[in-house]
Amino acid sequence: MSGHGHDHDHDHQAVPSDPALRVKALESLLVEKGLVDPAALDVLVDLYENKVGPRNGAQVVARAWIDPEFKRRLLADGTAAIAELGFSGQQGEKLTVVENTPSVHNVIVCTLCSCYPWPLLGLPPIWYKSSAYRARTVIDARGVLKELGLDVRDDVEVRVWDSNAASRYLVLPQRPRGTETLSEAALAALVTRDTMIGVARVAPPGGERP
Amino acid sequence: MNGIHDMGGMQGLGEIGYRRDDPAFHAAWETRVHALVTALAAYGKWRALRPDIEQIAAAEYLRMSYYERWLTALTERIVKSGLASREEIERGAADAGLGRSVPALSADAARSAPLQIPRTELAVRIQPPFRVGERVRGANLNPPGHTRMPRYARGKVGVVERDRGVFALPDNDVYFLDPKPQHVYLVRFAARELWGADASARDSVYIDLWQDYLEPA
Repeated sequence: MSGHGHDHDHDHQAVPSDPALRVKALESLLVEKGLVDPAALDVLVDLYENKVGPRNGAQVVARAWIDPEFKRRLLADGTAAIAELGFSGQQGEKLTVVENTPSVHNVIVCTLCSCYPWPLLGLPPIWYKSSAYRARTVIDARGVLKELGLDVRDDVEVRVWDSNAASRYLVLPQRPRGTETLSEAALAALVTRDTMIGVARVAPPGGERP
Repeated sequence: MNGIHDMGGMQGLGEIGYRRDDPAFHAAWETRVHALVTALAAYGKWRALRPDIEQIAAAEYLRMSYYERWLTALTERIVKSGLASREEIERGAADAGLGRSVPALSADAARSAPLQIPRTELAVRIQPPFRVGERVRGANLNPPGHTRMPRYARGKVGVVERDRGVFALPDNDVYFLDPKPQHVYLVRFAARELWGADASARDSVYIDLWQDYLEPA
């Protein structure tokens, strides 16, 4: 691996240091050798760019908010309850859902790498994989949350889930006030990715709290 | 291994760089690397790329973006597993005279395979060594290879919250060694046990830990 920076690249490297060019060269080699089908790659790109994402998780959350029996099953066995809604797949073998309440706030991190519930949230954002988020969330969750714009009161218990083993985690955020008359779809539309990682609260319709 | 990747509790690693609407991918090549990893995993020649990511030298690891690490580890795995030679990768063209393979993952399979539930839990009955509610201590382990035991839990006492069932021990399984099936436990550690008196008395960290990572406390 070259130690040259991107700002002073030279042509003497056999392997381009620009990852975009390296990937392109690697893909064309693998296609030439018959090891990958470019059409299969297109399918996978479309899947993780357009189909598998936080809208899945939001549907799970909305269902749990309106259906207490589903919520009970979801908290007892996340994988099975989530499969009822048709969501499953890679990085979703053992899904654990943890519930935020007025007295408990949950936040997810993976200190060793980037474990994340792909079937429900898609692929993780850059900040979730940043060294600082991975390092600091376990030792200073309140500080991290505050930096990300979420104040957690002193009398609320903070639970950090370091998800680097057999299970992947999803936060079931608190349902905002003033949403009693909303449909399941309208509720799901309120739920953002970051509320299911546990670094944000679900805002009521129209934005600010009344 | 005690590598740079084992970051829990470290300080001075810069900014989180939080952006509310940060997308999962920032460039087309990142999605392509992600797809290549899935497509090549279908050969079953490796269990995971993480052990190779963890072997990236610390200074390089910190310099690289996330998907650059994936690309580096994938390239290593392709060479080590014999799917392509380093010379072929550097040249960007296959050796002359070799026949073409048939891709392990077809476009049809790519539509459904990633959405199937992978079965990692093992249907093996093993007497559980710990009970829910029991106090356990993180073992003092310093393996040179892959492990899922974050070092900040070593020597710390926690309480078993849940028995996750029986799984292969990643420390062995990623190298195709004896999988040593064993129970995995969800363990709750008080923030003060991990980080001392300055931590909040209310807060805690939960970690799933294999039996081999734990001892009775």
